[in-house]
Order: sequence, then C-alpha cells, then structure tokens
Amino acid sequence: MAEPLQKKLQAELEKYQQLQKELGRAVAARQKLETQLTENNIVQEELQLLDESNCIFRLLGPVLLRQELRQAREHVGKRLQYIGGELKRYEQQELQARP
Amino acid sequence: MAQAVSVAELGLPQLELLKGQLEQEVEFLSSSLAQLKVVQTKFVEAKECLNVLHKGNEGKDLLVPLTSSMYVPGKLQDVRTVLVDVGTGYYVEKSAEDARAFFKRKIEFLTRQMEKIQPALQEKHAMKQAVLEMLAQKLQALTAAPAGAKA
Repeated sequence: MAEPLQKKLQAELEKYQQLQKELGRAVAARQKLETQLTENNIVQEELQLLDESNCIFRLLGPVLLRQELRQAREHVGKRLQYIGGELKRYEQQELQARP
Repeated sequence: MAQAVSVAELGLPQLELLKGQLEQEVEFLSSSLAQLKVVQTKFVEAKECLNVLHKGNEGKDLLVPLTSSMYVPGKLQDVRTVLVDVGTGYYVEKSAEDARAFFKRKIEFLTRQMEKIQPALQEKHAMKQAVLEMLAQKLQALTAAPAGAKA
C-alpha cells in the first residue's frame, strides 16, 4: 500500500526540486541583468551630460573605435530596451516557477 | 506567508537555521560594503592623479607601463584631456575639470549606495545577536533542567 504512495511522493519531490532549480536560474539571470541595467543607465546619464565637443570611443576587442555621440546614445538606448525586455521575460518565468 | 513569530517560541533546530541564514545575510552585506569601498578608493585615487596633469608638468619625462613589469620612457604631451572609462566599454575624452567632476559624481554615488546598505547590515547583525542570545538561553535551560531534576 505504501509503495505507490512513496512513488508518488518521489515524483512530487523531483518536480519540486526541478522547479527550485529553475527558480534559482531565473533569479541569477535576473540579477545579472539588473547589474547590466544599472551600468547602462549610468552610461546613458553620462552621455546626456556630453555634447559634440567630446570624443567618444568604444572598446571593441583590443581596439578603441571613435563613435559619434548620437550613435553612442542610440546604442545604449537600444541596449536598455533589450535588457528591459529580458528582465520582463525572466520575471514572468520566476512568477511561473514560484507558486 | 511570513508571520511575526517571537524568537522565544522557536525550537532549537529552527534557531540554528535562522542563525545560519542571518549569518549568510550579514556576510553578503559586509562583503558588498567592502567591495563598494574598494571601488570608491579607486575613484578617489584616480581623482588625485588628475592633479598631476597641469601646465607645469607638460613635456616632462615619464614611464609608461606596457605590462605589469615593463615600462617604456615617454613624455607627458597632452595635459588638457584624459580618456575616462564610463562603463560598458565606452570611453570619453574629457578635460581635466570634467574628469574631476565625473569622479566626484561617482564617489558621491558610491557613498550614497554604501549609506543605503549600512542600516540594513546593522539590523541583520542585531537580529543575529538576538538569535544567538536566545540560542544560548535555551541551551542553558536544557542543560540546567535535567541537572535540577536529578538533584
């Protein structure tokens, strides 16, 4: 009589552990994204304070490439949008895994 | 889900768990605070370095590091602008004044963040102390009771 019950408990336990792992992963990914969001916000603020007179460079591998203020602002803006979208996705994942 | 339970009501294993959890939180907050302090020191140093860049030093000889153990001789050519790392791979050419203002802003930002963590850290620390006291009390009560029963 205890056998099928035990099997059922085992299955439920595995499901629970699986959900816990997924939750952990979603939370870790979200923390990483939050860090990137903060950093990109800082960069955007700094870019707002600049004008055309300042030279902006971007580090691509070992090379510093010259960039226009407009380009840089666009790029950071797009990154912020992308991160925002990813954050929402992970938040939803988290909500699903939690209850 | 969370209910306020008096620490006195918790049994020994729960107290142990709580102590472990609070210890972890205190560890994490302390280490974050330390990291922020390190970064802030770097910015303070960078700001001090700017003071070297003035007309009086233009054209002077200096040593440029190529690796951590190899330098090449050079001359200080441009004392007007510096290249500042603003984050996510972006570098901006700024005048010494703008760079100073930038570092000042960063230092203030970090100070504000550290001030935010400080009270949370103190609270967790106080909670941990309370739990440790309760734990000690319970242990004492446990060891005292059988001794009292025997006598």
